[in-house]
Amino acid sequence: MSTQTLDRFPKDLAVSDLAAGSVTLTVDAAVYPLEAVYGAAYIFIDRCFVLLDRPKAGSVAVTLSPKKAAADAEALRQMAGEFANELLTQAWRQKIVEENRVILETVTTQALAGATARSAPTEPSLDDLASFDFTEEAFDDPLGIAMSWEEKYKKKTPTEAASEAPAVSGSTGAKP
Amino acid sequence: MMLAGIEKPSVTFPAFFRVREVSGSYVVTNAQGDWVILTAPDFKAFGEGTVDPGSALWERLKAANLIRAEFDVPAAVARLKKRMKFLESGPNLHMLIVTLRCNETCVYCHASRANMDAVQTDMSAETAEKSIDLALGSSSPFITIEFQGGEPLVNFTVVKHAIEYGQRRALVVGKSIEFTMVSNLALMDEEKLSFLLDHKVQICTSIDGPEHLHDKQRKLIASSAFKAAVHWINRINQAYIERGLDPSLYHVEALLTTTREALSRGREIVDTYKSLGCRALFLRPIDPFGFVEKTASRVEYPREEYLQFYRDTTDYIIELNKKGEQILERYAAIFLTKILNGEDPNFLDIRSPSGAGISAIAYNYDGLVFAGDEARMMHETGDDTFLLGRVGELTYDAMMKHPTIRSLVLASNVNGRPDCVNCAYNPYCGVDGVHTYKTQGSISGRMRESTVSAVHKGIMDYLFEKIRENDPGTMEVFRRWTINRARDHFVQVPG
Amino acid sequence: MIERRFHRDLYPTTAVDGAVKLFERFARFEQADEGDYRVVRITARRPEREQKIALELSNYALGLTRQGGLS
Repeated sequence: MSTQTLDRFPKDLAVSDLAAGSVTLTVDAAVYPLEAVYGAAYIFIDRCFVLLDRPKAGSVAVTLSPKKAAADAEALRQMAGEFANELLTQAWRQKIVEENRVILETVTTQALAGATARSAPTEPSLDDLASFDFTEEAFDDPLGIAMSWEEKYKKKTPTEAASEAPAVSGSTGAKP
Repeated sequence: MMLAGIEKPSVTFPAFFRVREVSGSYVVTNAQGDWVILTAPDFKAFGEGTVDPGSALWERLKAANLIRAEFDVPAAVARLKKRMKFLESGPNLHMLIVTLRCNETCVYCHASRANMDAVQTDMSAETAEKSIDLALGSSSPFITIEFQGGEPLVNFTVVKHAIEYGQRRALVVGKSIEFTMVSNLALMDEEKLSFLLDHKVQICTSIDGPEHLHDKQRKLIASSAFKAAVHWINRINQAYIERGLDPSLYHVEALLTTTREALSRGREIVDTYKSLGCRALFLRPIDPFGFVEKTASRVEYPREEYLQFYRDTTDYIIELNKKGEQILERYAAIFLTKILNGEDPNFLDIRSPSGAGISAIAYNYDGLVFAGDEARMMHETGDDTFLLGRVGELTYDAMMKHPTIRSLVLASNVNGRPDCVNCAYNPYCGVDGVHTYKTQGSISGRMRESTVSAVHKGIMDYLFEKIRENDPGTMEVFRRWTINRARDHFVQVPG
Repeated sequence: MIERRFHRDLYPTTAVDGAVKLFERFARFEQADEGDYRVVRITARRPEREQKIALELSNYALGLTRQGGLS
């Protein structure tokens, strides 16, 4: 197998094998949960043959081989890029769904209850939101992004009582 | 550096919010859809919690439920419930694809049309009855039966039967019913028209712009598709007047499909619609279903080009309104209703969760049932992912409990989607899961790469820029566009 | 003969078995556990057919893995 790095990709992240017409991405399993890898890989099986491997502990290698005639270097690079984006989306979506489980389940239940015209839903309804404390932090911060340095490293400073963490991650919004 | 130069963000002053920078201002929204537009210094003060209590800014923020210490929970709950009222009942839109046969060939057609001799693609009267029975099982007290094709007039016998059957059955089950038809009108005649008018069927057609553009994209053998459509638009509008209906409310509306060629013809398109008495123009970009897969190189375009077209054309429409013309742009009306009125106009493709399944069902000519028309189009290209079952075998309850519908509801919720979850336009937006499945491989999709998401953001950026400008004439136009005048003539109420 | 190696951390044995079962009428399969891998050896009448089956097998095993994870 003769592999080469992908243009503008970190060399330890992705390599292509033009002779085999495939690209292999190697990702850190600590950053990308396995479910996210499965989810992203599955998205590609209509146009690629996909094989997963574990080259070493803590890593997952994903090899994508486009089903159609031999892909050139640029096509493989595009495919790798799309896979990386899908992988990130899947990983982040898992966290979002965990954080927002209540609202997602409530809305889904209400939607299906309305559609099936149940008169007395046993699951939480929108009325239950009346008792929800909106003044609490809306999102957990599992990655500690919103934590100040002092909080994170448990150091106390004279101004700790007055110091405040950055705004919640949901407030920075999307750049156009 | 943080937005607007914020150096010490406060976690105690602001209530939960999202923010988007739009042309140098900051659109700040909360989860319920309240909003303010702030200058950079005001946003800095908000973010750092240095707003003077009782100041004008403080009052604005309080009114928008954005100050944590002043957060009004009952108001937030009421606003959320108002927005999500559509969840209270099941599908109200039921699309009957009465045939795939069509007498026109359109470059972007996503109706999976068939030639005029393909009679095997006609819906039978029995299938139509079973479809209507299933539709009337909906928990919605109000049902719309929409006839689509192909060209529904090709199978007019079954259309007639379905209308008469539906009217009888709706009386028995005690539901309000409304019929609509999407037709190119080329096969209309006085007899068909008389029936449709007598039975209060709302008629909608397609107009792609001025004659040369329309006929270039919509081919009718041996004659002009445009001329045929215009003839009957005028005839139907005249018929409404003859029947004593207010022409400002009752007239044929048309749908536009924005192809590449249309992008340089925005004003001409608007003028064409105006000349036909249409009061609404929906500047829809092309979608990825059907023929567009094959003709994309001719008709598709980058979404940046579309957004410029949208801005220019909507500016022109606003300008006409200020001169006394009554014509609205549908996208703007949909978003403005959400933004300004805090209501959801229930446009199913721009809703969270989307309407696929829980609000719209498509019944194919062969009796197969799908979670909406895009889902049906996937079937016609060989993908049955969104097939729910078959009329006569599928019960309403089983249909609504179908895992496909549940999955679509979950996946299309903006609070479960990356990017949407952080977007200031979250309360106003939605992207259909079938669309993302088609374009990105999954029903949840990647919104940052979604052309639909880009279009929605672009349009709302434009609208918020206008709202910030606060030109009285424009705001009056916008206010009018959020008024929904019910067309009660078409609604057939039991008893 | 062509070989396909499925790491047992990533592909449950049931997923590999299920995929093999689907394709067994198109070729001869032998399976063995070698270290961390379930190794599947495929023999068909034509080499190109072996290659195709091996590729499709991987996709099918991934699909069964995902399906098992979601149920």
